[in-house]
Amino acid sequence: MFQKTMCMTLLAVAIGVPFMATAQESRSITVVVPEQPDSMEACNAATSNISRVLSRNVNESLTLIDPSNGEITPYLALSWERVSDLTWRFKLRENVKFHDGADFNADAVVFNIERLMNRNLDCSTRTVAFGGLDLTARSVDPTTVEISTGTASPIFPTLASTIKLVSPNTPVEITRTSIGTGPYQLDSWRQGENVQLKRFDGYWGDAPQVEKVTYVWRSESSIRAAMVAAGEADLSPYIARQDATNTETDTAYLNAETSNMRIDTTVAPLTDVRVRKALNLALDREALRTAIFGESTVPAVQLVTEAVLGYNPELKLWEYNPEEAKRLVAEAEADGVDVTVPMTIIARPNIYPNASEAVEALMAMWGEVGLTFTAQNFEIADWLKYLRKPFPENIGPNVQQEQHDNGKGDAIFTIYNKYHSQGTVSKLNDPKLDALIEKGQAATGEERKAAFQEVFRYLHEDIVADVPLFHMVGYARISSNIVWTPNLQTNNEINLSEITFKN
Amino acid sequence: MLTYIIRRASHSLIALVGLLMLVFFLSRLTGDPASVLLPVDATAAQRIEFAARHGLDDSLIVQFGSYLKDLVQFDFGMSLRQQRGAMEPALEAFPHTLQLAFVTMLLALPLAVCLGALAANRPGSLFDRITTILTLAGASAPTFWIAVLAVLFFSLSLGWLPTSGTGTIAHWVLPVGVLMLRPVGLLAQVVRTTMVGAINSPYVKTAWAKGVPRSQILFVHVLRNSLLPLVSVAGDLTVSMVNGAVIVETIFGWPGIGALLLNAIIERDFAVVQACILLTACSIFILNIVIDLIYAFLDPRIRYS
Repeated sequence: MFQKTMCMTLLAVAIGVPFMATAQESRSITVVVPEQPDSMEACNAATSNISRVLSRNVNESLTLIDPSNGEITPYLALSWERVSDLTWRFKLRENVKFHDGADFNADAVVFNIERLMNRNLDCSTRTVAFGGLDLTARSVDPTTVEISTGTASPIFPTLASTIKLVSPNTPVEITRTSIGTGPYQLDSWRQGENVQLKRFDGYWGDAPQVEKVTYVWRSESSIRAAMVAAGEADLSPYIARQDATNTETDTAYLNAETSNMRIDTTVAPLTDVRVRKALNLALDREALRTAIFGESTVPAVQLVTEAVLGYNPELKLWEYNPEEAKRLVAEAEADGVDVTVPMTIIARPNIYPNASEAVEALMAMWGEVGLTFTAQNFEIADWLKYLRKPFPENIGPNVQQEQHDNGKGDAIFTIYNKYHSQGTVSKLNDPKLDALIEKGQAATGEERKAAFQEVFRYLHEDIVADVPLFHMVGYARISSNIVWTPNLQTNNEINLSEITFKN
Repeated sequence: MLTYIIRRASHSLIALVGLLMLVFFLSRLTGDPASVLLPVDATAAQRIEFAARHGLDDSLIVQFGSYLKDLVQFDFGMSLRQQRGAMEPALEAFPHTLQLAFVTMLLALPLAVCLGALAANRPGSLFDRITTILTLAGASAPTFWIAVLAVLFFSLSLGWLPTSGTGTIAHWVLPVGVLMLRPVGLLAQVVRTTMVGAINSPYVKTAWAKGVPRSQILFVHVLRNSLLPLVSVAGDLTVSMVNGAVIVETIFGWPGIGALLLNAIIERDFAVVQACILLTACSIFILNIVIDLIYAFLDPRIRYS
C-alpha cells in the first residue's frame, strides 16, 4: 500500500508539478507571439519577429517615435541639430551602460553606424530605412557625434529611431545574441522553445515592474488566446478577431496597417478617373466594416493614420453612392470608354483576416454598378511580382489587394514608393505629383507636413489612385493580473517597461 | 545481409541524389528569395545586391554545382532567414520529431493490435462494431479540428493539461493523443481485417479441432500471420511522422522538423528546406532497412541476399 501510494505520488509529481510550475512566479510574465525570432541581431530589428523581443527592451535607439502623435522624441540622444545639408549632430545621454559594462558614448554610436553600413552584413534596417543613404559617423567628443548621410535627409532623426544600438564589443558579423542598453538583457534562448529576458539592474531609466519575461511562440491564434485564458501566458498581443471573444481580457487596437486596393491607372478603362471614382463610390464601407473587416476598423481615405506626419484630416470619406457610380460609368461609356471589359483583382488570400471574403464582396458591389471583376489569388512571391517594378506586361485592367504599414511616423515612407514615378510599387507617372512629393521630401517641420497633406489631397480628389478600405485593427488578449495598452507600434514592438501588475 | 544493406544503401544514394536535384530545382520555381526576404519597398538595386551576395544571380546549374560541391564537404549552406548554417535548425528540430513519432507509434501499436484482435475475435459483435466505428472515426477525423477541440476541452474547460509547448510529461499528452488517433484507427482495421481472414484458414480450423485454447489461437497463430501487413502500414505511418507531423507540431508549438520545413518553404529559405529533406530522407532510408529486417525476422521465408 505504501509503495503504491509512493508510486502515485511520484507520478503526480512527474506529471503535475512541472506543469504547475509554468504558472508565473511573481513579477514574471510570459508573452506568446506568432513566430519565433529568426535571430537576435539588432541590425535586423526591422523584421517584426526580432523587433518584438529586442526593440525598446534590449536595444534602444538615439530617437524615438511617439506612437500617439508620430513626433520624434529624445531617447539615447538628448537633442540634435542639422549642422549642414548632409550632417546631423547628436548630443548623447550620459551615464548609460551597455549590458556588458561598456560605456554608451560617441564611439559606440560610430561603431554602430559602421556596422550597420557594412555591406557584408545582411541588415534589414539598412535596406528598409537607409536604401539611398551612405551613413558615416564621427565622434566629436564623448557625448557628441556627427552623422553624415551622403545624400540630404531632412528626416534623419526619424530614421535614427530604427537603428537599434549594440555594444561596441559586438562582432562585425551577424550574431544570435544582442547586448544593448535597454531595461532588459537577454538571459537565454532555447531554440524552438522560448526566449527569456531579465531586468537589467544597471538601466539608466526607471526600473520596470516586470523582472523576468519569457517569450514563447504559437502560430495558431486560437492556441495563443487559449494560453492566456488558461493562465499559461499573460499576454498575447496578436490574436485573430474570431478568438477575441472575452470582453474582460481582449482589446482591439489600431495597428498602423491600412487595407487598400491599388488601381492600375495605366490600363483602360481604369485610365479614366470617372471609372476610378465609381470604384470608390460603389463600396458600402459600413457594410464591409461590420460584416467583414470588424467593427473596430476605421474607414480609410488615405494610406496613413493620423499619427503620421503628413496625414490630411480634411479629406472626406468616400460616400456610398451607387447611383452616382453608375452615372459616372455610363458617362465614361458614352465618351467611348469600354467599361464592359473584364477586370482582375490581384488578390492574396491571407494578406489580412477575411481577405477572400472582402474580395468577394468588392466584386459583388462593383458588379452592381456595371464593372465586371474576377479574382485571381496569388501566393506571396507571385503576388509581389505584380506589386512591384518591373510590372508584368499585358495583364489587363486590374486592381491589387494590398495592406500598407507606416509605423515610422513620416508620410514619405508611404508616398515615395507608392506614388512617385520612381517609386518601387508606383503605377503613377504624374509630373505634378512628383514635384509635390519632392517638395515635401526636401522640407522639414510644418512645410513638410503641409506638402504631404497636399499630396494626399491631390491623390484623393484628382488622381484617385486607390480604393482605400480601412485602417486595420489588431486584437490583444491581456490577462487580468497585468495592465498594458497596445498602440500603433504594437505590430513591431512590445514595450515591456509599460507593463505593470495590478497587485 | 551486409551485402543487402550495402546494395540498398547504394540504391538509396542514387534516389537521394535524384531527390535533392528535384527539391533544388522545384523549390527555385516557387520564387525568388530576395523578393520575399527583402521588404516590399526594397529597390531593384538592393535586390540585385542581395542576390549577388548570396549567389542567387548565378544560373541554376551553377548554383546546383556549388551546392553539390559544398554538400560533399558537409557544408549544407546558410539559412538566409536565420543567418546560420542550414543544418543547425534542422538538427535542433529533428530529435523533437523523432521522439514524438516513436512515442506515438510505441503507444499506438499495442493498442491497435489489442483492439483489432479483440474485434476480430467475434466479428459482428457489439465490441467489434463499436471498435470499427471509433477507429474509422479516429482515422478519418481532421487532425486540425481534433487538436483544437482537445485544447479547448482538456486545457481550457477541464484545466487538466497544458495547451501546448514542451517541458513536462503533461505536455506530451495532447500531441501524442491527437497524433495517435490515425495510426490506432488504421492499424486496428488492418489487424482486424487480416485476422478475420486468417481465422477462416485451414490451419486455424485444425487448431480448433485439436482443442488449442482460443487465446492461443488468436494471439499466437493468427496474430503472427497478420503481422506483415501491420508492419507495412505501421512503417508507412512512421515514415510520414518522421517527415514531420506538421499540423500537430504547428498547433501544439512542438519544435519539430515539420513546422520548421513549412516555415522554410513559406519564407523561401531554400538551404533549410534542402537540409530538412536531406535529414528526413536519410532517416527514412534507415527506417526502411529496419522495416525490411523486421520482415525477415517475422517471416523466415523472406531472405535478403
